[in-house]
Amino acid sequence: MSEHQEHHDEHHVNYKKIYFTLLGLLVVSVVGPFLGILWVTLLTAFGIALVKARLVINNFMHLKWEKRLMKWMLATSLVLMGIMFAGVAPDVMNHEGNNWENVAAKAAVARGVDGGEHAEEAGEEEETATEVVAAGFSAEQSFTLVCGTCHGSAGDGTGPAGAALDPPPADFTDPVFWETRDRDRIRIAIRDGAAAVGGSALMAPWGALYPDPDHLEQMVDYVISLGPNE
Amino acid sequence: MAHAKPIATLRSATGIPTGRLAIWWVLASEVVIFGGLLGAYLMHRLGHPEWADAAAHTNVWFGAFNTFVLLTSSFTAVLAHQAAEKGNGKEAAKLLCFTILGAVTFLIVKSIEWTNEILHGYTITANNFWSFYYTAAGLHGLHVIAGAVIMGFIAFDAYRGKELQRVEFIGIYWHFVDVVWIFLFPLLYIAK
Repeated sequence: MSEHQEHHDEHHVNYKKIYFTLLGLLVVSVVGPFLGILWVTLLTAFGIALVKARLVINNFMHLKWEKRLMKWMLATSLVLMGIMFAGVAPDVMNHEGNNWENVAAKAAVARGVDGGEHAEEAGEEEETATEVVAAGFSAEQSFTLVCGTCHGSAGDGTGPAGAALDPPPADFTDPVFWETRDRDRIRIAIRDGAAAVGGSALMAPWGALYPDPDHLEQMVDYVISLGPNE
Repeated sequence: MAHAKPIATLRSATGIPTGRLAIWWVLASEVVIFGGLLGAYLMHRLGHPEWADAAAHTNVWFGAFNTFVLLTSSFTAVLAHQAAEKGNGKEAAKLLCFTILGAVTFLIVKSIEWTNEILHGYTITANNFWSFYYTAAGLHGLHVIAGAVIMGFIAFDAYRGKELQRVEFIGIYWHFVDVVWIFLFPLLYIAK
């Protein structure tokens, strides 16, 4: 790199050659992924993007001939970006940790894979979700996956994510709970959130997960079945 | 450069012409703006395998054609810079107009593409993938519009032989818009 070189008005770059190289790389980056091989896709899509960007930055933007100050300035921006990514990505990319669980993200993965036709990607969440899908809709499995994280898979309010909640998640096995509940109220709480029936705002609306009214009724039935009278 | 310069370009503490230093400062802040957005996209994409289903509906040919358009417009922008350095303002203005033509083509292709997607129900609220898709490509599109408008003013001046150094500055900005698209293309269209 010619870092010590002064900026010249004439850079003697063969722009046409650079341009046609860029077009050639574009063709490779489009054709490569059609082979359907993961590492070829990554290499052609993202590796070539880096090469293309480097060609443009060095030869069209003439960064190669700029003073070192300018490179440090840009490097600072890139480092800030890296720090942001390193700080936030672990929480976003993982859906659970020692003391927490991202229920919404897990549900989104399960829901997304359910509706998708391209479920060949690898991934633990996806495998779990695919098992659920393969068996068709099951209120019990859906309860364990979605509700169980707070309410506990037995519905006794002892789910791992519910421990820290105030007010605590409802205990469906408690007879006192059922003294003031009926079918309609349970349905509304699942669909629109407990706040819709005067309960805790921490119980989120899950209606989007059960667009089929029959599935929603099965969920209501399942919650009622956890009660002491049945 | 032998032509008349505004006073700001005559003062320089760094040895870099002030205008060019300024445009690089703009780009340094743009790196953080686009970097934040694309970084956020990347970490969500890696954490959500199901986004691949949504991404499968983007049309790689629209993306590839627009990459071709932007690379070509970058080429004409750098040729305009070359012409400006030789003091040929008319040639620089002509080449900048070709670059603007590239920007307009890019936006027309983009609007056809988006119309098609929106009519199929893939709106910005459809799911998080589409939210990122429209936000990232939309922010990039705004940069294309801004660049094309500014280039119009610069071409107008350059044709009269005025402020030829600005041809280089808008060129540097334009190449950056190109570089952002070089990364958006695989992120939004190829990774499926």
